Order: sequence, then structure tokens, then C-alpha cells
Amino acid sequence: MTGRVRDTLLTLLTYLAVLAIFFPIFWTVLAGFKTEGTAVAQPPVLFFGPTFENFREALTNANYTSFFFHSVTISVVSTFFAFLLGIPAAFALGLFPTEKSAGTLSWVLSTKMMPAVGVIIPLIIIFKALHLFDSLAGMIILYTAINLPLVIWMMRSFFAEIPKDLIEAARIDGADTLHVLVGIAVPFVTPGLAATALLCLIFSWNEFFLVVNLAGPNASTLPVYIAGFMTSEGLFWAKMSAASTLAVIPVFIAGWAAQRSLVRGLTMGAVK
Amino acid sequence: MTMARSTRWLLIAPAIIYLAALTQAPFVLTLFYSFQKWILTSPELGVTFVGFENFGYTLFQDSTFRAAVLNLVLITAGIVLLSLLFGMIFALLLHRKFPGQGIARSLAIAPFFVMPTVNAVVWKNLLLNPVFGFVNYFTTRIGLPRVDILAAFPKLGIITMAVWQWTPFMMLILLAGLQSVPDEIREAAEVDGANPWEEFRYITLPLLGPFVELSVLLATIYVLQLFGEIFVATQGGPGSATTTLPYYVYETISQANDVGTSSAQGVCAVIIASVIATFLLRLLSRTFKVAKA
Repeated sequence: MTGRVRDTLLTLLTYLAVLAIFFPIFWTVLAGFKTEGTAVAQPPVLFFGPTFENFREALTNANYTSFFFHSVTISVVSTFFAFLLGIPAAFALGLFPTEKSAGTLSWVLSTKMMPAVGVIIPLIIIFKALHLFDSLAGMIILYTAINLPLVIWMMRSFFAEIPKDLIEAARIDGADTLHVLVGIAVPFVTPGLAATALLCLIFSWNEFFLVVNLAGPNASTLPVYIAGFMTSEGLFWAKMSAASTLAVIPVFIAGWAAQRSLVRGLTMGAVK
Repeated sequence: MTMARSTRWLLIAPAIIYLAALTQAPFVLTLFYSFQKWILTSPELGVTFVGFENFGYTLFQDSTFRAAVLNLVLITAGIVLLSLLFGMIFALLLHRKFPGQGIARSLAIAPFFVMPTVNAVVWKNLLLNPVFGFVNYFTTRIGLPRVDILAAFPKLGIITMAVWQWTPFMMLILLAGLQSVPDEIREAAEVDGANPWEEFRYITLPLLGPFVELSVLLATIYVLQLFGEIFVATQGGPGSATTTLPYYVYETISQANDVGTSSAQGVCAVIIASVIATFLLRLLSRTFKVAKA
């Protein structure tokens, strides 16, 4: 087999493999535009007159919009707080490492490795006692903690890339730590900041274990809404598909925007 | 560069204290509760210290617990190994230069962004439903019998969903690894007459070692916590066929309201996760050293 033929065949194989792995998403989006009858039709229907009814219905469903609102509030606010707490720490650990820094970072990572089932029982009891159960504030407090290790590790790796001369020069000019952090370091790592924020948003948006255990109608997010479809409306595939599509679209946008830094985030800054 | 101790402390301490308060402190409480008898729905029984009773019950009497540990290990191993295999295939395919590479990569990572509950409702219904699902339409067309995969092979069903989600994760890390292998090394191997398999086995794979290691380790740590897929698709069933440890803890607290027993299970889950992570870290670094030598 000549190199050219092999190359073409491998490319075709690649296209097929990619279509196969993307197919479930394509099929779901498509089902969102079907009527309930077309959605369950056998053989499966590929071409049909699309309806926007399912999407309209999801977006005007008071339940759905309130879960959507919870998702947005919890993920945005918790990302903000994770930055507020994490950036100063990452700045100190990345630009001014001491012999203790490695230990601190490992400890931070170990908190991320802690299985959620190891903390869920006390959280349920404490949240109920403090009236944080089923509240946006409670979920924000928790998601801040989930995102904090990611912010510290990832931002540390970005801060560590700032040329030391730049920081030294500013300090010689008399800038105090706050000015170095806000005026020089943070502007220098803006792309990293954006990527980290997007990853935090994705993880908060998709989190399920904590929210299903600690929230009810007042603070539940979209993953819980979708899970509810199985019990209440499991047979309405088109509606379910439209709701699912709307729930994952924000993550796709965030994920594709952060694609270049995705590996760095997923490996806590280990792979650049 | 140096920084005054007090400034350093001011910068780092808030994050550390926050993390400790929300992760370490609750775990200490979990340990404490695991020695108590406490049923949330029966406050009249009060809270009493029972020593190792909860652990004794969990480890030696509760057969569901043992099943949950075994299921956790089987399902996690299946997901991680298959995702690694598929992730490697996708990484190798997508590392080549070809028209549309950027779009192909974006489409291939998409499953990783899908929230676990959407993953489960989509697979359970649109794809795996025995009557209306796409997979059964396809398999019956080529002459295979109609099967309800989630009922007949529930573990396989859960593994399939999760592998779909975690293949892109593996692929991403391995792609980064492939990019770090200098093209010259592989070209040199080709010049020396290595066929593609030999080139992969003796050149690419050893150089990818650290990336394989990292991807397996991270995926294992995350997949051990798999919950949403099971919650939606099987509720741990049929029977306890897909009840993994996290799901069992959830059942014990949300259905039996048993704080003591569920805490003991939680403590066991943390111990198991740490043992697996430590074991894996050692094993992987040893195999990799052997492969390098």
C-alpha cells in the first residue's frame, strides 16, 4: 500500500471515529427538534420538518428557568469567590516559592482527591443545622471549595511563567505586594485567568453529587432537573432532548473557548 | 525572590483555612459519626457511642457493602482501561495532520463536557432503549437479537456511558503527550525501517509513559466518584448490580437515614480511594521505569 493511499484511508477512518463519538450529541440535538412521535419512530428518522416547540416549552417552563438561574448564579458566584481566595495564594506560591510551597500544594491537591462521600454526611447535618440546606449560599460555599484547588494549581503554573525581572523591577520602583499582584501579575496572566474561570464554570455547572444531596427546589441546578426527567417525564424524548441540549450548550461554548488550556486544567497544571 | 513571612501568610492562609474547613473538618466529623449510632428519622433513640459496631456491620455482615466495593473496582477498572484504549486510538488518529483537524478535535472532546445526568438520560433512552433506541435498531438490522443492555448487562451499560465521556479526557492528555514526542525521533525510526506498530510500541509508547501514567491516575481518581450516571440510568440496580460505593453511601443516608453506618461506609470509601491511588502511583511509576530501561 502506498503512503498516499494509507494516509487517505487513515483520514477517512479518523472522520468516521469522530462522527461515531460525536453521534450521541448530534442525535440528542436532532431529537430536540422532533415531535414526540418522530423522536421514538422506528426506523429512526433523520430528515423531518423541525419544530421549535420543545425548546420554547423548556425556556418558558418556570421550573426549568429557575433551575437554569440557580446553575448560573451558583457557578458564576462560586467561581468569583474561588478566584478571590485562590489568586493571592497562587501568586505567592507561583512567584515566591519557598521550601514549604511544594508541601502546601500537595496538600491542596489532596483536598481535591478526597472522595465526596467522605464528607457528605457531616455536610448534610451541618447544612441542615445552619439553614444552608437547599440554599444558593450553601451551594456557593461548597463549589468555591471545589474550585479552589484548581484555581490555586492552575494559576500558580501561569504566575510561575511571569519573568522574574518584571516583578523585581516593579518592586525596586517601590510597588508593594498588592500593586505587584493587581497591577502587574494579574494583567500578565489574563489568558490563563480566562481559561481557569471557564473550567471552574464547567465543573460547577456539571456537578451533581453534592447538589442532589444538599439542595431541593430552592437551589437545585440543571443536572438535577435533567435527572428528574427520568422519573416524571421519561417518555417524552423530544422534550427531554431539548432540555438536555439547552443544559449543555453553555458548557460546550465555555469548553471550546477554553480548549487550548483544557489539558492544563484537567491535569492541575502538570501538562502545558 | 523573597517575600515577608507575614505578607505570604496573608496571601495563602485564607485559601488554606477555607479548604481545611470545608474538606478536612467534615472528614474528621465523618470519622466521629462512624462510631455513633444515629438514625436521623428516629430522634427518640438519640445519638450513642457504639465503638466499632458500624465498621463491624459494614465490613463483616453487610453483603451489599462487599458487592458495592467489588462493583466499584470492576466498573472503575473497566472504564479507565477502555477509555485509555479508545483515548489512545483517538489521540493517534487526531495527532496526524489532515484537513479539518481542528474541527475534528473539537467534536471529539465534546462528550467530556456533557453533564453526567444528560449522558445517562441520552444513553438510557435515545441510544440503549430496547424498543426505540438507536443501538438496538442498528444491531437488530444486522441480525443480532434485541437486548435491553441496562437490564441484561447493567455494568456494561454504565461502563459504556462513562467510557464515552472519559475517552476524550484520555485523548486530550495523550495528544499533549504525542505533541511532546519530537517528530525527528519517529522519523529516525521510520528511516531505520520500523513499521508503524514497532514505531508505536518501541518509540512512541515509552515516551508517552508519563502521560499514560498521569491520565490513568487522574481518571481513576475521578471515576471512583462516578455517581450521576448510576443515579439516573440504573439506581444501582437491577438488584445491586451497579451499586457502587458512592451510590451505596447515598442510599444509606437518603433512604435509611443512618448517619453512623453511612459514615463508616464513607470512611471506608476514602480509605479505598487512597489505597488505590497510592498503589496505582507506585505500580505505574515502576512499570514505566521498567519500560524505559
